[in-house]
Amino acid sequence: MKNFQIIKALSSGSAVSSIAKENSAMFIAGGTNLVDLMKKNVVAPDKLVDITALDLKKIEFLTAKTSIGALAKNSQVAEDKAIIEKHPLLAMALAAGASQQIRHMATVGGNMLQRTRCSYFYNTDMPCNKRVPKSGCGAIGGSNRMHAIFGASDSCIAVHPSDMCVALAALDATVLVEGPKGKREIKFTEFHRLPGNTPEKDNTLQNKELITSVEIPNNNFTKNVHYLKVRDRSSYAFALISVAAALDIQNNTINDVRLAMGGVAHKPWRLTEAEEFLKGKTISETIFRQAADLAMKGARGYGDNDFKLTLGPNAIVEALTIASSK
Amino acid sequence: MSKTSNINRVDGFAKVTGSATYSAEYKTDGVVYACLVGSTIAKGRIKTIDTKKAEWAPGVLAVISHLNVDKPSGYEKAKDPHNFGQPLQVFKDDTVLYYDQPIAMVIADTFERMQYAATLIKAEYIKEEHITDLQKAKVKEKKVETDKGDDYHRGVPDNYKNAAVVLEEEYTIPTEVHNPMELANIIAKWEGNKPTVFTKTQGVEGTRKSIGGVFGIPPEDVSVNSEYLGGAFGMGLHTWPYEIAALIGAKKLNRPVKLVLHREQMFTNVGFRPYTIQKMGLGATKEGKLTGLTHEAVAMTSSYEDFMEGTVNMSRFIYNCDNVSTRYRIVKLDTCTPIWMRGPGEATGSFALESAMDELAHKLDMDPIEFRKLNYAEKDLEQNKPWSSKYLLDCYEGGMERIGWKNRKNKPGSVKEGEWLVGYGMGTGTFGCYRSPTSVKAKFLADGNLVLQCSVNDMGPGTATMMTAIGAEITGLPSENVIIQMGRSGLAKGPTQGGSATTSSVGSAVHDSCNLLVSKVLGLAGATSTFKGTPITDLTFANGVISSAKDASKTVSLASLISSNKPEDFEVENTSKGNEEMKKYSIYSFSVHFVKVLVNPNLGKIRLAHVVSCADIGTVINQKTSAGQMYGGAVGGIGMGLMEALEIDHRFGRPINNNFADYHVPVNADIEKQEVFFVNKKDPISNPMGTKGLGETALVGMAPAIANAVFNATGKRVRDLPITLDKILEPSVANA
Amino acid sequence: MAAKKSTRNKLTEDESNASRRDFLKKSGLFTALALAPPSLVMASEKKWDEKIAEYLETVPLSLEVNGVKQNLNVEPRTTLLDLLREQLHLTGTKKGCDHGQCGACTVHVNGTRILSCLTLASMQQNAQVTTIEGLSKGKKLHPMQEAFIKNDGFQCGYCTPGQIMSGIACIKEGHANSREEIREYMSGNICRCGAYHNIVDAITEVKEGGMLS
Repeated sequence: MKNFQIIKALSSGSAVSSIAKENSAMFIAGGTNLVDLMKKNVVAPDKLVDITALDLKKIEFLTAKTSIGALAKNSQVAEDKAIIEKHPLLAMALAAGASQQIRHMATVGGNMLQRTRCSYFYNTDMPCNKRVPKSGCGAIGGSNRMHAIFGASDSCIAVHPSDMCVALAALDATVLVEGPKGKREIKFTEFHRLPGNTPEKDNTLQNKELITSVEIPNNNFTKNVHYLKVRDRSSYAFALISVAAALDIQNNTINDVRLAMGGVAHKPWRLTEAEEFLKGKTISETIFRQAADLAMKGARGYGDNDFKLTLGPNAIVEALTIASSK
Repeated sequence: MSKTSNINRVDGFAKVTGSATYSAEYKTDGVVYACLVGSTIAKGRIKTIDTKKAEWAPGVLAVISHLNVDKPSGYEKAKDPHNFGQPLQVFKDDTVLYYDQPIAMVIADTFERMQYAATLIKAEYIKEEHITDLQKAKVKEKKVETDKGDDYHRGVPDNYKNAAVVLEEEYTIPTEVHNPMELANIIAKWEGNKPTVFTKTQGVEGTRKSIGGVFGIPPEDVSVNSEYLGGAFGMGLHTWPYEIAALIGAKKLNRPVKLVLHREQMFTNVGFRPYTIQKMGLGATKEGKLTGLTHEAVAMTSSYEDFMEGTVNMSRFIYNCDNVSTRYRIVKLDTCTPIWMRGPGEATGSFALESAMDELAHKLDMDPIEFRKLNYAEKDLEQNKPWSSKYLLDCYEGGMERIGWKNRKNKPGSVKEGEWLVGYGMGTGTFGCYRSPTSVKAKFLADGNLVLQCSVNDMGPGTATMMTAIGAEITGLPSENVIIQMGRSGLAKGPTQGGSATTSSVGSAVHDSCNLLVSKVLGLAGATSTFKGTPITDLTFANGVISSAKDASKTVSLASLISSNKPEDFEVENTSKGNEEMKKYSIYSFSVHFVKVLVNPNLGKIRLAHVVSCADIGTVINQKTSAGQMYGGAVGGIGMGLMEALEIDHRFGRPINNNFADYHVPVNADIEKQEVFFVNKKDPISNPMGTKGLGETALVGMAPAIANAVFNATGKRVRDLPITLDKILEPSVANA
Repeated sequence: MAAKKSTRNKLTEDESNASRRDFLKKSGLFTALALAPPSLVMASEKKWDEKIAEYLETVPLSLEVNGVKQNLNVEPRTTLLDLLREQLHLTGTKKGCDHGQCGACTVHVNGTRILSCLTLASMQQNAQVTTIEGLSKGKKLHPMQEAFIKNDGFQCGYCTPGQIMSGIACIKEGHANSREEIREYMSGNICRCGAYHNIVDAITEVKEGGMLS
């Protein structure tokens, strides 16, 4: 790892201004992904701005929404009693990610910014358009068991590895950021992006903006929710596919529903068409299966990950079935 | 055995307090840090290597490559016939034989500066076409050029083809990697022409010979320290290029050099279980009597060494079949050389054999255990010898009862628990009981404590604890009074730890040396005035006191005896070799793993609801550590069965999942309910304790047990490991 | 094959200086130099190189390890794991993967279990760090250490310090209420010897014995 300068920011304003003009400066908080990437020489910043002292750790329950500070730890959110009560889907997704040690370190903002686990991205002697634009995509035609079935491009078939983000996308969260040009809000579903011809960009942050918090509007998804994570071992593994399912059911009728998938695209993949189909329907395995088939429209495999075309709809049905039977 | 049969690990305190010192942890004055830079191609030559930036980086003391290396004198020597080829000679020339082969070494004053400087080295290559895909290269198979590589035939070759019921299938296991938790590591230093290493090896004496050979010095001049090993599972059976590199660096700088591999390099530079394709042909009568068994294996090796293992061996003797053929072939690929990985070839072979037996039982509509009992081998037909002991049937019975085998149905998919499909499966394992000449020095200290010395080391099974138990039993001392000194050269010469032979070899040597020591003590006691006229045969020794069996009032304490004699009178160093009687018998351990799986076919999820591992390993010296070893072997087999596979991108000839996030090994949540059952009956032949060995057979048979249980649950037969979810996934049908 | 020997000695001093300055510019030292007094910049250009680099490239760090206050200078890039093992010689904390994928390096920082391999030491100003060496008091073992010995929760012992640190935290966090919960919350600690059954036994025994307050 290259040596670098490290400074501690005492306010979000000074954090932003201290990296704004430096090309090779980055924020660091939990460091669980950044330090790993620096060890692998995937990123090599000259300067790190330690933002852990900023007052961005609080979880607040406001009239119409829940606000979670960007520096709240993953475990802090997952185990917050009020979060478990009001947004159990988020708590479940967080608890499914990584290990408890990593959840104790990783922050909400950092979780959103974690990079793909694609091996070609991680290994600097391999081609990867995300790491080195125009160097080619190793995963296409290569080893791609973990890779995307939705929204990929000829440049990149990587997936975003987060569990938390799948739940936040489903819950219609909003991301609050602060940059050199001031503060702004980004819809969570628009925070991460599809690769297109510029897979080097994971998200829509501009000019070194700092994530300050995530807000979740109040909802009725407090009971019939499930986060299903399918992986190659029982714990401590990234999702091959995950499904966040939240249902608002009255008398067996679906009032409202949210569905999103992880491990299938360059961003958390919201299943809006399936959601629309399910609204107003009476719960049954048949309509779940029909919704799953709708959700899978446009999916394609790349060889090793073809099984996701079978696993995907099954996982959606399973998640909906478990959620609806709670 | 009695009071020592359940003692805690004698190195437990050191291990739970962090005071156990593993190789690279020895505090060494003036130590500097080294790492290896690997090639980024799989085959070819180094065209240029730019080391300038690294040399100029702060703290860098040396950058060594083939351009400036002082080649060890042994590099010029002839090939070593024992290795069936020539081990990779690090930095010898510009040739690249596999991906991540060390092409340079950076040495710097701090760990961080060394790591950074390594990133500054850039090489250009002249690439040559590589082959890393066994499936594509298998046509280039060849025999191993030793008698062990010969084909085996008993009765009519390939007679299975003539049977009433025939099963012919192909089974594949991928490359698996040992991956002990401790990274391969070494501290190397020189005093004049004599090197000292603190290194991760399973064989202190073997490492002395290897290093001595490479540097052209006698093994006696090489000091090797390896008291604690953070696991090894076979990867420590070889002296690897990283160890030689560290010695080269230490010699050049005349300073101690510490070199620790990265986890990524553990997948590319220190061996692995080789990718193996196996063809099984089984034939039986309609009643289920085996009439032919053919087992063929094609396994990978490196381009520079011929590696082979006992993949097909078990098929020659485990069942009662008059017509058996086995063939073993290797294919040279552009990778590092494989090395035995726990269970070694027998684990690979049992996956094919025990899966095929299950498949044939299914074809015959027989219970798989009934089928095996019908073909039970009353003697070893390969060697035409009686078994020294064989309690395999007890293993079957013990396992069937514990797993609830009676709930199993022959028809797949016919048992359910809630939404889960339930399946039961079993797999048989075996491993030879080997015993090699071993010396142990036993001595009493003035305080009455017993010291046992042997250069053998302990990668985890509890060798020191076993030595303590045997020493305490024979001398009648409490186990707290036994001091073990091991894991370094200069002590009585012990064997390499591997092949389940440690207890048989070292335990026997402890047994013999302690008996001789006790005789010596009784002899000295008999000469004292207290026992004047008492025959030595009447004397007993327990708890540090010699007494007369006939007259309890007469006693002499060991302490007083020692104070009135010379210290060397209380020392024995004896070499234990075994006896001719052993050659008349076939001596094997046996194991049977039983599993109950729960399967969700929609998600391909397999849960190991219950695992019962049974073994006939002769006498169990220590129930606690043996159970631990059996649990662990089963977990290793679960990794083999469900998740472990080194994935290669053959376009680049390099592994793609060479890290612990992508190469999955079992985690705690994977292991739901585990039980261990030992028959615990003494083998009358194997050695004085009656043990037969456990480490390897603890893993053998687990992977097929899982495959067979998955078949029983789902009707899906997976013949290529690991059984990942995509292989059993069912498209579910809408209940429309 | 046209590569030739390129040792430091063979370069002219001018070549060496030019290259070194070029290197220093690209390194973190450049940033540090920008902040350093002019005299130090001069000194560096006159190639009092490595000692100055060492000084300039480190930051002061005070932290407490196992109750002992440490006042150190560390490079910003030094991880807590490497600081413990290589500088403080507290080798009980193990390096198994160095990438947050095995749990062998688990320590407690301010009472919370974390992975020291992914933790920059320079960000741990005033932190209270507890390692495996900080659990026992002389021969008196922590109850979790006792339970690991009694239940044989290890073989090779290399993952053991991490398992024990994690096991203690698992109970303190309230995640040891069933074997199933223990298994899940201990899954961040890989044991290649496969001692999981006995590890769960050990943690269960400590939890049920109420041996941790």
